[in-house]
Amino acid sequence: MLSLRNAARHWTWTRLASFAFTLLAVAFLGLMLGLFVWQSLPAWKHAGLGYITGKTWYFRQQEFGALAMIYGTFVVSAVALLLAAPVGVGAALFTAEVLPNRWRLPVKAAVELLAGVPSVVYGLLGILFLRNWVYDGLESFDLLSGDTLLTAGILLAVMILPTVMTLSDDALRAVPATQRRAARGLGLTRAETAILVGFAQSWRGMLTALLLALGRALGETIAVFLVVGRRDNALPESFYSIPPLVEAGQTLTSKLGGSETNIAYGDPLHWAAIVGLALFLLSIVAGISWAGARLMRRKEECDAPLA
Amino acid sequence: MRHWLDRLFILCTALCAALPVVIIVFIIGVIAWRGGGALSWEFLTDQIRSAGADGGIFYNIAGTLILLMTAFLVSVPIATGLALVHGVYLKNERTKERLWLLLSVLNGVPSILFGLFGLIVFVKYLGWGKSWMTGGVLLGLMMLPTVAVAFIEQIKSLPRHYIEAAAGLGLSDSQRVWSVVMPQCAGGLVTGSLLGLARAAGETAPIMFTSTIFAGATIPSGVKESPVLSLPYHIFILAQDSFDPAAGTNLWGTALVLLVLVLGLSLLALPARLHIHEESGND
Amino acid sequence: MQFHVITRCSLVSGVIFFAITSRADTLKINGSTTVNPPAAEAAEILRREKGMQIQVDTQGGSSGGISMLGDGLVQIGMASKLISDDVRARYPGIEFEEIHIGEDAVALVVSKDIWDAGVKAVSKSQMQGIYEGRIKNWQELGGPDRRIAFFNKEPGRGTWEVFAHWLYGSAKKTPSVSFPEVGGNEETRNKVASTRGALSQLSSSWADGKRVFALAIMKNDGSVVLPTNKNIASHQYPMSRPLFLLTDGKPKAEAKTFVNFILSDRGQELVRKHGYLSLKQLE
Repeated sequence: MLSLRNAARHWTWTRLASFAFTLLAVAFLGLMLGLFVWQSLPAWKHAGLGYITGKTWYFRQQEFGALAMIYGTFVVSAVALLLAAPVGVGAALFTAEVLPNRWRLPVKAAVELLAGVPSVVYGLLGILFLRNWVYDGLESFDLLSGDTLLTAGILLAVMILPTVMTLSDDALRAVPATQRRAARGLGLTRAETAILVGFAQSWRGMLTALLLALGRALGETIAVFLVVGRRDNALPESFYSIPPLVEAGQTLTSKLGGSETNIAYGDPLHWAAIVGLALFLLSIVAGISWAGARLMRRKEECDAPLA
Repeated sequence: MRHWLDRLFILCTALCAALPVVIIVFIIGVIAWRGGGALSWEFLTDQIRSAGADGGIFYNIAGTLILLMTAFLVSVPIATGLALVHGVYLKNERTKERLWLLLSVLNGVPSILFGLFGLIVFVKYLGWGKSWMTGGVLLGLMMLPTVAVAFIEQIKSLPRHYIEAAAGLGLSDSQRVWSVVMPQCAGGLVTGSLLGLARAAGETAPIMFTSTIFAGATIPSGVKESPVLSLPYHIFILAQDSFDPAAGTNLWGTALVLLVLVLGLSLLALPARLHIHEESGND
Repeated sequence: MQFHVITRCSLVSGVIFFAITSRADTLKINGSTTVNPPAAEAAEILRREKGMQIQVDTQGGSSGGISMLGDGLVQIGMASKLISDDVRARYPGIEFEEIHIGEDAVALVVSKDIWDAGVKAVSKSQMQGIYEGRIKNWQELGGPDRRIAFFNKEPGRGTWEVFAHWLYGSAKKTPSVSFPEVGGNEETRNKVASTRGALSQLSSSWADGKRVFALAIMKNDGSVVLPTNKNIASHQYPMSRPLFLLTDGKPKAEAKTFVNFILSDRGQELVRKHGYLSLKQLE
């Protein structure tokens, strides 16, 4: 439709308004980024690179090192992804490759509903059930309490499961049905068809699904806030050690959602350090969304070279 | 051996697919069971009393609806503009690609960052204090990509000959928009809005610093210093700080009301959404 | 064409929303979650009986109340600690007026397993040891062989300030430590109750003696003091704190009505009802 240029082109009101609104959306994103950079400048001036690599955050002593929170954010998201990826992809393989069409609806509906549950409700259930399950279930590890990075990770896994599943299912169903029929005709079992035909052709789409889910996990606030323990400076001895996983920690979002955001305003340095955390988060998540969108585009080009 | 593996594969993947179903049934079950007792006509129509332990959540429901209404009014025109620019006006593929990337990035921005943005710009810089308007604008911007993308998808799936016919009649771009694109693609706008609203309704992070307080707000009559109550913030505060064991029942009751609202919106959008997925699946 | 109308309507209504001007005369109160229960209930009564517009919120605890009063965002702050000279220096234009409305004590609470195992009191030096990480096991306090799961109140909470003041003299002299943090009173009680070997600071009125248990403070001479009303009133119990309403200068207009109500017999009854000591009990 875009190639049709014979229509008269006027700067009509509709057109003008459309472009104005688009500019507004672009400007909003730019403004947010600019604002975060500008307001966090004092923190960079104060701590320099130590702002990222610093291991201690004691705001009363004006020590602002965000490493432990960055670590916490990544650990929590990694746990969520490691749990949600196999289950989500497995579930998608089942719904797209095995499940008869009339059964698809209830399963897909359930997944859509799961995606709609508000994060504060997840947090509530996390406080009342999940933290006790983790606490009692891992009794042999002698946990100090049920608030751990692992608890937050498990809760997040449930929250991102619908994203992984829906997008993987979409990717699998984009594979032409004729190929499946051909594979079955050659005597392959359903499992072999699903893996060799479905999965082999849609892994790129699944990777996109995982990236988008990761983006969501990194930025989730309220549910994580309620179960992560909010313990500052929880860094492991080395990056390979397991114990921090079952101890309380802090993430970028749990710090931003906490009381310090209210206290900090009025103290320019403390405020800058808080806004800087937002800047980290925005940069990381925007990078991931961007990569995910690029990958999705590439996939579409591969799928449909004629378009 | 192969058949045994095949069975195993099906069993494993079936278990994976059963998990989300089990979880959603568990969530709805628990909330309905614990919150059902709180529900009554009075609970829905009375205001908060005794710091959440008594009374109802009328103004919380009203506040959430006010926020959603504002978000809807903010996002629909902007999303329409974005979709028209992307789907109709822009001819350059590279620019369209960039706009799409931008929408994807906006879609990924964590909700707490909207809250922080609102705190800096509206609450502090513009001096609005806590205001329903800030929350509505923020939620509107947050759901913007969802609405715009649904609309764009709909424009993409518009049969070619519709446009060709319109062009053949010598209609301008904008005439085509109002006579062909808008009437044909309204469905996308509705689906997108429902999905976006379902997401916005349950958000706490964007509004906790900017527009809601725990108690004392009613229906706002201005913009500055006019907070509202809301369902998610009420749950968040009660979960941390209910002042009385009796607040527990009201806490679950509030969670039930919020869940019904959000799942209701998702369910309304469901048919259209499944339809889109099925269609793209059969390409 | 109908969509044209909708877009237009949403634009127009948006303009109208922005055009409505701000409404004054709403009394805004923010601060400590400890002061909140009686204040929120007083606000309910005044709303009902005098038709006053009062908003009560608890963002950021006592510090949030102080800074929002300092920034002119609220007329009354709620605090459960004295205003430090630092704060007064930060807001030179504000004449902080501390209005004493009652007294609360901070209890050190433990979970049931620790209480049942016979740990009933803790000394100042033992508590310092725990806070500085030198004492990690309940054995050192005569309890079972179990790690101490200490939950620290988050910064800004009056409870934490009182605790720090008792242990180290001031918040500034308190060593920097990192423990899991808890916010509201309900959250604290919940987490202590559901964790074996747990210890935390909690407003004494919340130590219910069923799920969480208040330890006595052991003095140097070996005698122990429990946070009973009598001991708090006589300042025998070391960790008590005044509850304040804060205003900028003498309270005026609506703020004055509110303050007078809290200081009246009915208001003081609310203070007692929520587990604190009224001014009369302190005399």
